[in-house]
Amino acid sequence: MSRKKEKVNVNKKPLGMRIWNNRGFYLMFLPVFIFVLIMYYWPMLGIRYSFFVYKGRDIHWVGLQHFASMFSEPEFWIAFRNTLVISIVKLLLNTFVAVVISIFLNEMTSLFCKKFVQTVIYLPHFMSYAVVAAIFTLFLSTSSTGMINETLKSWGWIETSIDFLHSTKLWQPVFYIINLWKETGWGTVIFFATLSGISPDLYEAADIDGATRLQKMRYITLPALANTIIIVLILNIAKVLNIFEPVFVLYNNRVFEVSDVISTYVYRKTFMTSLPDYGYTTAVGLFKSVVGCLLMLGSNWASKKIRGRGII
Amino acid sequence: MKKRLVSLLMSTVMVAGTLTACGPQAGGTTEVTVTDEEGNEQTVNVAETQTGEVNEETGTYEVKDLYIVVDGTLTATVDNGQDAFIEQWEEAVGEKLGHEVHLHINQVDHSDYANTVSRLLTTGEPGDGSFPDAMIMSASMYRDYMNTGYLWDMADAYDNAEFQSRIEIPSINLNMRTADGKQYGFAPTYGNGCVTYVKASWFEQYAAATDGIDKIEDIDTFDEYYDMLKFFKDVKVQDADGNEVQTGGKTYGVVAAGFGKLDEAPYINYMPEFWQGAYPSFYQKDGVWVDGFAEDATVEALDRMAVAYADGVIDPDTEDFGTKQAREKWFSNDQTTSEGVFTYWAGTWLRTLTDNMSKQGVDDDLGDDRLLQLPPIKEIKDTWGGYLNREAPVWVISDDGDDNSLREQAIFDALFETMLDGDRVQTLWTYGAEDVHWSTKAESFTTNPDDPEKKKDYEYADGEFHLKQTPNDPNSVWKKNHLDPALTIAPLTNGFVTDDPLIDEGNQFFTANCVDAPTAPSCQTLTDNLEALTTDKTTLMIEVVTGEKTGEEAIAEYNDKWGDVSKQIVDELNAQGTEAPEAK
Repeated sequence: MSRKKEKVNVNKKPLGMRIWNNRGFYLMFLPVFIFVLIMYYWPMLGIRYSFFVYKGRDIHWVGLQHFASMFSEPEFWIAFRNTLVISIVKLLLNTFVAVVISIFLNEMTSLFCKKFVQTVIYLPHFMSYAVVAAIFTLFLSTSSTGMINETLKSWGWIETSIDFLHSTKLWQPVFYIINLWKETGWGTVIFFATLSGISPDLYEAADIDGATRLQKMRYITLPALANTIIIVLILNIAKVLNIFEPVFVLYNNRVFEVSDVISTYVYRKTFMTSLPDYGYTTAVGLFKSVVGCLLMLGSNWASKKIRGRGII
Repeated sequence: MKKRLVSLLMSTVMVAGTLTACGPQAGGTTEVTVTDEEGNEQTVNVAETQTGEVNEETGTYEVKDLYIVVDGTLTATVDNGQDAFIEQWEEAVGEKLGHEVHLHINQVDHSDYANTVSRLLTTGEPGDGSFPDAMIMSASMYRDYMNTGYLWDMADAYDNAEFQSRIEIPSINLNMRTADGKQYGFAPTYGNGCVTYVKASWFEQYAAATDGIDKIEDIDTFDEYYDMLKFFKDVKVQDADGNEVQTGGKTYGVVAAGFGKLDEAPYINYMPEFWQGAYPSFYQKDGVWVDGFAEDATVEALDRMAVAYADGVIDPDTEDFGTKQAREKWFSNDQTTSEGVFTYWAGTWLRTLTDNMSKQGVDDDLGDDRLLQLPPIKEIKDTWGGYLNREAPVWVISDDGDDNSLREQAIFDALFETMLDGDRVQTLWTYGAEDVHWSTKAESFTTNPDDPEKKKDYEYADGEFHLKQTPNDPNSVWKKNHLDPALTIAPLTNGFVTDDPLIDEGNQFFTANCVDAPTAPSCQTLTDNLEALTTDKTTLMIEVVTGEKTGEEAIAEYNDKWGDVSKQIVDELNAQGTEAPEAK
């Protein structure tokens, strides 16, 4: 008891003294602290420009004017809606397909086949989106160089080329397919690792009980994966507003209505004019950050509810 | 104790390292006394910079480090002899000025040039070592920037420049002046423009199959031009293996980098036969600014392109292609999915396109006669008068805002005065570095020595000016550096001229068939709405051409959304009272 009291007394030493006592550690931490302040927090001061017109040398306070114009712009809301739709559908689809493929891979008995399939589906992940877009744009072109359309025509399935990447109806499905091709393989890594960690005893017990393959998947594999699936979804939901590169390299004027996301909207407003108003685009960026922050808190709340502990 | 000492030392070093970047920057002013032209002494505040200083003995500002930003038009790139160019420039300019000047070239991605310049100007201060002292701007960029305070008014410096006595085309620079006489840019050349190139081997087939068509000049009207394009859908060409193949509808009439390039004046120059008299931007018509996008001529032009797109005459890839992609598909070694017509830059580009076809082994039997230049069709002649000669790109100097021109005049003297000196420095800007890009020494060399069909020997006597092999491609001969000798406003006085008849032919053809493009507009409302306007107009244009809307529907939609803004822009432009430049 007296020992416990002593310990409490030590902890109650004044902060300054505790820092002094551990000054060696604090000194070692100091460069990191300064680095974080300079590289992460100092740039945040730029947030103030969302309340300014910042156009060349014309810099003046405008209060909430940028936010008013942003909320009154239909293009902004189209981009906001598309950001949520494209990101969430992409996340759910990629996760679902990654889970399915992981389970199939887990069920494969031939080690050679398993390794071969894994290698094949991992490879696209290492290609940049610019290359992927160039390949698919060429394949899906309506010109005579477009392999898909020319093949379909030669088989007599279609008479005129299908404009896959310029049609408002087809752009999003094609986008999801391209993303699945590129990222699903890599997405299986985490699920496959979880599957490898399931105790073989469970499967043996199920075999003794006469469980079929599907029953083993349903009652052992999927429940074991559930926690990982939830974590993956929760961790990614906070990042959904950051989508930029895959859309940027694949979208075009004719499909802005279904493809323009907040980041591409900001990019156009900033870089497609020789004298951009950085104030306006900072305001859009700030709004995106606020929504992203809310999503992060929502994810944390959901994590606490489901797993009993938060992620932050 | 030792551990603590080590950790303390390490921390100190790291913190010091982290804070190194936070050192003193350019800023503030220094008071100096200078003597004006009449000999009167006066005290002025000069912005303190890290790139130059006032020489207290002479009272003049001396540029020590000159930071320039250039696009792809400086062909002496880092891997193409830029070091030698800089070294010789510093030596020649140092001799002229009597003090050392170090030239720092920031050559940024050509396609992202405007964005990069915008970022550089926004994030720095003049003289801080990364802020551009001088840079190139397209005519559209120039109009956007000229009223922002970033650019120095060089009207006086230009008027008093030594090169004035040698300028042969003064209108190029004088036309850039504002109504109140300010001149923020310097154009050492005129703008150049695009002409329509037709593959000779394709045209021969068309001429053989068509009565009344024997030579390219026989294509006189849009209907005749369109018939030729339709014919090009099924021609005999060579595939990637060099075999002759009848394409059976897989080839196209024409390809371009977009149906119209609405973010870069003169907007219509890649598809002039389809646009004809239309101009999808604000321009002066009979001295009055109008919105060309809302005019009937634009509706007709868009509908013409829609018909051609539906007929398979325009390559659908045109919608997404940039200039590089369009070029490369056009001269690709597999001609079975290519096109017969490509409208592109005149002069030197005739040589470049021909050389690229040669490299790909396309129509080797035709040599330098692979390409035909199509004279402007009747509909272009009846409206504009010829191919459009774009407004010249300009060099500008950043203004440090210290209310005096000491630094800016010094930059003008070091960079622009010497650029058109008619001799050594102008030669550097025109042809590149001596003995790297060109020479007057006796020498002989061979291009493509391993290919008997393309092998070519060159031999030059001592004292004979000639271009050498391109540094990073010994199989081709260097063409030029930044200034096109055929376009410069003040020619070289040292007699150095290229001896390429194909480039001469290209330049002569364009000069004989061009008119000046309309002046680019500039006003506040246009600048405020430029991105959204350009995006919407481009979308509408594409939607019409690809058959999603009619021309009339698109223009009606445009008027609904942008009518008021368009009217405001037109009113602002007309209130400026500037005069349209006279045609050349």
